[in-house]
Amino acid sequence: MLWQLLPQAVLDGLLIGGVYITVALGFSLAFGVKHIIDFAVGEWIMLGAFLGYYLQGWTGLDPLLLLPVVFAVFTAVGYAIQPVIHRAVSGRRGNPVLMGLVFTFGLMLAIRGAGLTVFGFFSHSIPSVMSARSWFLEAGGLFVTVPAIRLVGFVYAIGITAVLHWVLRHTDFGLAVRALAQNRDAAGLMGINARRISSWVYGIHVGVSAMTGVVIGSIFSISAQMGGDYTILAFFVVVLAGMGYLAGVPWAAFLLGLVQSLFLVYGNPSYTLLAVFAILYLILLVSPRGLFAKGV
Amino acid sequence: MRRVVAFTLCAVLGTSPAWAQADRNYFKVGVITSLSGDLATGGNVTKRGYDLWAKAVNEAGGIEVNGKRYPVKLYYADAQSEPSQGASGAERLATQQEVDFVLGPYSSGVTLAVAPVLEKYKIPMITGSAESPLIWRQKFAYTFGTIPPVNYTGSQPVGALAGLAPKPRTAIVLGSNDAFSKATAEAFKTAAEAHGIKVLKFNIVPSGQDLIPLLSAAKVLRPDVIAFGGHDEELINLVKALRQINYTPKALLMHYGVTEPAFVEALGKDAEEVFGASVWTPTLPTRGDLLWADARAYAEAAQKEYGVPADYTQAGCSAAGIAFQAAAARAGVTPPLDEGEKRALRDALEALDIETFYGRIDFADRGEFYHANTGLEALTVQIQGRRPVITAPAEFAEAPARYPTTPWNDRR
Repeated sequence: MLWQLLPQAVLDGLLIGGVYITVALGFSLAFGVKHIIDFAVGEWIMLGAFLGYYLQGWTGLDPLLLLPVVFAVFTAVGYAIQPVIHRAVSGRRGNPVLMGLVFTFGLMLAIRGAGLTVFGFFSHSIPSVMSARSWFLEAGGLFVTVPAIRLVGFVYAIGITAVLHWVLRHTDFGLAVRALAQNRDAAGLMGINARRISSWVYGIHVGVSAMTGVVIGSIFSISAQMGGDYTILAFFVVVLAGMGYLAGVPWAAFLLGLVQSLFLVYGNPSYTLLAVFAILYLILLVSPRGLFAKGV
Repeated sequence: MRRVVAFTLCAVLGTSPAWAQADRNYFKVGVITSLSGDLATGGNVTKRGYDLWAKAVNEAGGIEVNGKRYPVKLYYADAQSEPSQGASGAERLATQQEVDFVLGPYSSGVTLAVAPVLEKYKIPMITGSAESPLIWRQKFAYTFGTIPPVNYTGSQPVGALAGLAPKPRTAIVLGSNDAFSKATAEAFKTAAEAHGIKVLKFNIVPSGQDLIPLLSAAKVLRPDVIAFGGHDEELINLVKALRQINYTPKALLMHYGVTEPAFVEALGKDAEEVFGASVWTPTLPTRGDLLWADARAYAEAAQKEYGVPADYTQAGCSAAGIAFQAAAARAGVTPPLDEGEKRALRDALEALDIETFYGRIDFADRGEFYHANTGLEALTVQIQGRRPVITAPAEFAEAPARYPTTPWNDRR
């Protein structure tokens, strides 16, 4: 019986990891380029989820079809906010990383408070046609159930990762982003408009996070208080991947997903989080710069 | 000039000058609840219950003591869903606001942290929404609760399920890792075993944990009943996870949260036929001597005020206010309450036995349920037609239980 459960446990772990990728991807990108630890990431997820919820109610369309709209709206929001963050972390202020952290922490509190006031305190759900579908596969005494909405989340995560990777590696914009991440002053001397590129990067981070909120709302419930958990999750994944090392995010996310899933099935579920933290600490003890020793 | 200086100092320190306290002709009522954090949903539901009571009692002129009416004024402390913040809030209400009595927190964990602080200051508290038996085993002299503990209410729905045909033979019991949810899961497990239902799996999981791996593993065991102890968001996520893996047990049982309006709103047809435990619904036959004549009258007032149906937590919180109202009248205490009057109020609460729109309020004065309300009947409810309907016990049943539950894909 235990052996029979393994394929399902591995699949569930990978699907959970898919959700974690999307939560952490934008966060890692923003840190890699701007060196901002964005404590508001969970709130962008929450705001995106609520925009998806209301848009779905008004239009009747499936939330997955609304992802481009949510991305466009929140990319614009992130683009507009970035100059304010830039002002908070630059100039004569010392320790820009700390200033960025404090600023986004304040942003998080403000958005969460406003969210509770505007959206209320009840939980909601974003219904998708995919939430009601699943496939049951059986072969050689082994079987798995594949929930359609989780598979969509996984494909979405891989898709976003692939697109971001392609943009960073194969476009002029991506070259500028990488140059900025390596050496801001030298990039400026090469004619790169640092402020504009930074605004686009933060905009993309906010847009991707907001889209993730819609996907999360189709899988789980949403509420004005949901952001905190996802901020912590993003932070863990990014630390494990190596701060600012974008390519490490999917592997770190899959590792965390698999540890949780296997421990829930084969270990004592009460200690799942303890197991996750223990593995995280052990890896950081051995490799303080993350799984691949390529973080900051 | 001295008075101006004294007022300024008191304003800075957040206290009232002694002569202002002595002249006070209204009750200062502390309200500790979670208005933010993970438990904000339940916390705000309790606030609605307390606010509705305060509004109703003030519209009636206040609490009547010896023929004279004294209005009430609420002083809030946000526990932020953290027991430590709840304890700090209790300290502030006791020392700075100098409240006469306290309407207690949402969640058992916060109540367990707040109760010893109020015990120290000898301030009576009634919690309208804490259900862990751990609270009552501590035998706090000044803490009371209008909702019975889960080991008192949780066994009713399991017994009701055991009486259905075909009788469920196996169950999986899960609980979230907090005081209330753990106690609920333990109550379900104990009751299941007592009724001959074999518990195949019993797990306490971290709060907010994605349960899909555990449920996928549970699906292989094909349990007749899945019972879960958790809070609102966790219950919604559990139903969504079961829907995603397309497993419909014969009965899906939860406790608090099923009767919350958000549960039905978020899940729609997937909320149908989920069983829950409750002690009150808007249709329960009750009669009240104070403020609301019966459950229906309260439900109408709540619907008018907030635009959503009231659940048993909100009603239990309003009933906590009524219990204080009745006890203050019987003890003959008038604001501001000194230590002796607070003790008299506590004694009156212990001796209280009244009928309200919520049902009977009778705080136990001994035993394992010490100071919990044991005057209520535990009810089994099931979501039918998008609202909680009582299915057991027989004398209160509004409709028969729908069992075995309809498979997810056959629901309309």
